[in-house]
Amino acid sequence: MEFVQSLRMAWSAIRSHKLRSALTTLGVVIGIAAVITFVTLGASLQAAVIGDVGGDQPPVVNVWAGPEDAVGSGQGGPGFGAQPVLTQHDVDRLERLNGVDSVDPYGRVATTALEYGGDRVASDGIVAVTPAYLEDEPLGEGRYFESGTREAVLNPRAAEQFDTNVTVGSELTITLANGSTRAVTVVGILEESTSTGPFEGFSTSPRVYVPVDTFYTDTVTTPTTGEQARVYRTISVTATGHGALPDVQDRVRSYLEEDSDAAQLVPSGYVFAVRTNEELVAQIQSLLDQLTGFVTGIALLSLLVGSIGIANIMLVSVTERTREIGIMKAVGAQRRDVLQLFLVEASIIGAIGAVLGTLLGIAGGWAATSLLDFPLEFPLEWFGIAVAVGMLVGVLAGLYPAWNASRLDPIESLRYE
Amino acid sequence: MASTAESEAAVSLADVTKTYDMGGTVYALRDLSLEVPRGSYTAVMGPSGSGKSTLLNLVGCLDTPTEGGLTVDGADVVAMSDRERTRLRGGEIGFVFQTFNLMPKLTAAENVALPMVFQGVSRGERSTRAAELLEQVGLGDRTGHRPNELSGGQRQRVAIARALANDPTLLLADEPTGNLDTETGREIMALFERLYQRGNTILVVTHERDIAEHAERIVHLLDGELERVETVDERRTPETDAALAADVSGDGASGAEGETTAAAESDSASATEEA
Repeated sequence: MEFVQSLRMAWSAIRSHKLRSALTTLGVVIGIAAVITFVTLGASLQAAVIGDVGGDQPPVVNVWAGPEDAVGSGQGGPGFGAQPVLTQHDVDRLERLNGVDSVDPYGRVATTALEYGGDRVASDGIVAVTPAYLEDEPLGEGRYFESGTREAVLNPRAAEQFDTNVTVGSELTITLANGSTRAVTVVGILEESTSTGPFEGFSTSPRVYVPVDTFYTDTVTTPTTGEQARVYRTISVTATGHGALPDVQDRVRSYLEEDSDAAQLVPSGYVFAVRTNEELVAQIQSLLDQLTGFVTGIALLSLLVGSIGIANIMLVSVTERTREIGIMKAVGAQRRDVLQLFLVEASIIGAIGAVLGTLLGIAGGWAATSLLDFPLEFPLEWFGIAVAVGMLVGVLAGLYPAWNASRLDPIESLRYE
Repeated sequence: MASTAESEAAVSLADVTKTYDMGGTVYALRDLSLEVPRGSYTAVMGPSGSGKSTLLNLVGCLDTPTEGGLTVDGADVVAMSDRERTRLRGGEIGFVFQTFNLMPKLTAAENVALPMVFQGVSRGERSTRAAELLEQVGLGDRTGHRPNELSGGQRQRVAIARALANDPTLLLADEPTGNLDTETGREIMALFERLYQRGNTILVVTHERDIAEHAERIVHLLDGELERVETVDERRTPETDAALAADVSGDGASGAEGETTAAAESDSASATEEA
């Protein structure tokens, strides 16, 4: 039988049971839509979390002391569970290591609110860094802050979060976690709101940068010198170039583990994490991949249910049309003609389900990402996979019923009531 | 094959035995030899269990003999693969069933075209031929109707047109009037008569004597064996049937009235069948 004819006959069989066919198709639609929605969400989540950071990374090694199991397994993200063990003395020593360009402590100052022009917004912390840390970030306007001043640099998201936009020269009032307030002068606004380093996380969110020496107040008695000095949880070591990065990573690690203040201060059960930006991005990526894989796996289950639906309805359909199969065989239908007819029917259901499911999935992905305020990112290769899987599901689910139909004995079938 | 087959019988059975294993060997047919010449009109009669259906299935290439030889259109059916037998059945056998056995979702024209689909006839050719055949059986104006929109007699006409689709060697009818009222049955037998006159080979299986008498000869089966072959001296024809009908109804019911009744009755018959 020519293919077009089997398409025509299969389509007429599908149309003769509109509700049943629609419900069967719905099973596939839901399955495919779920898969598409979740992979879209996964890709969008990845875009939101890693974003531009996924591109070229500066030759930076990120250092913190984290819980042994988290650091060992790469769980928890950069700076997870970091303890205040890295002293100013360590920062100075690290700076003198061969191949190191600069060492930038990265501190977080806990806050409760920011206030500008009478508008008060919640804020859980500001970023305390050295001027060098910001050096590579392009400015939209103004200049970078200077050490030892009450100056601040904002990213555009932070500048736009008040009723009236913050501009260079504006005065901000920062309420610290302990309730006291500090006034700062905004001297610069960055060009973009993207993350300036792994410790900030990788998302685009409002950030206020202030000089570490003015605002960062955590101190400790330095074990080697006995002096009271600032102590950091996280620092970034910039190498002179990518070529020097592996060596710098090794040297930083051996310094920390052998004769640093940090080695003496670190609590038991905590180890040093010395990670390049690339490693951190890759680590997050693998976490997100796992998460996406997991939810997609659940979605695939619903696709499996959909395919069982097709198989079930095709089995019913074969039984119901036993007599018709007998007639077709009596008038000369070969086994493969009957097989083809039922396979085509199942495939049509699968294909329609796949196409509708993809459309619904795209809509679902769009709705979910706009609800969660993620940038929408379509993993196009998955759309192709979904449609192919939908048709494959139809063929596989139809295979057994079609094979059953093709094997029916014409004499028995004609007698079937 | 076809060129040498011209001189041979349409169907030839040589010492055919068919047994079924039903907890013991049951003989459905025993040592049956029979020739159906080309262009002949044969009826097969016998009580139920006599082997009529088995004979029909064998001749229709739906089944194979347990022993003995069977040729259809000169081809040895016994030696054939399932595929070849299906191909022969589609091309050389036209089935007409008691219950019509039309595809309910297909129109009259599509039903008639169905056997051609499986023989690889092109779509254009199929629809032309289907229209021609429906015209021949008097349903030229019903091509787009589905079986449930047709009366019983009309359905059987569609089935006959379908049976003729691939210009088969043999037209095989199984109680073709069994589900029809007398008048409609008579019309169907008149159609068979016309097909016979035009050279078709016809084999009718029936248990009704007056249907069988339309044939040239009647093959009587009893308990799976050939009881006797009877030559019909005075064949029934549409003309004699009509005369007989006029006698029975006395004043001779008008054709139009008879047709209305027939249509109504067959409609109710088909309703029962569907339920």
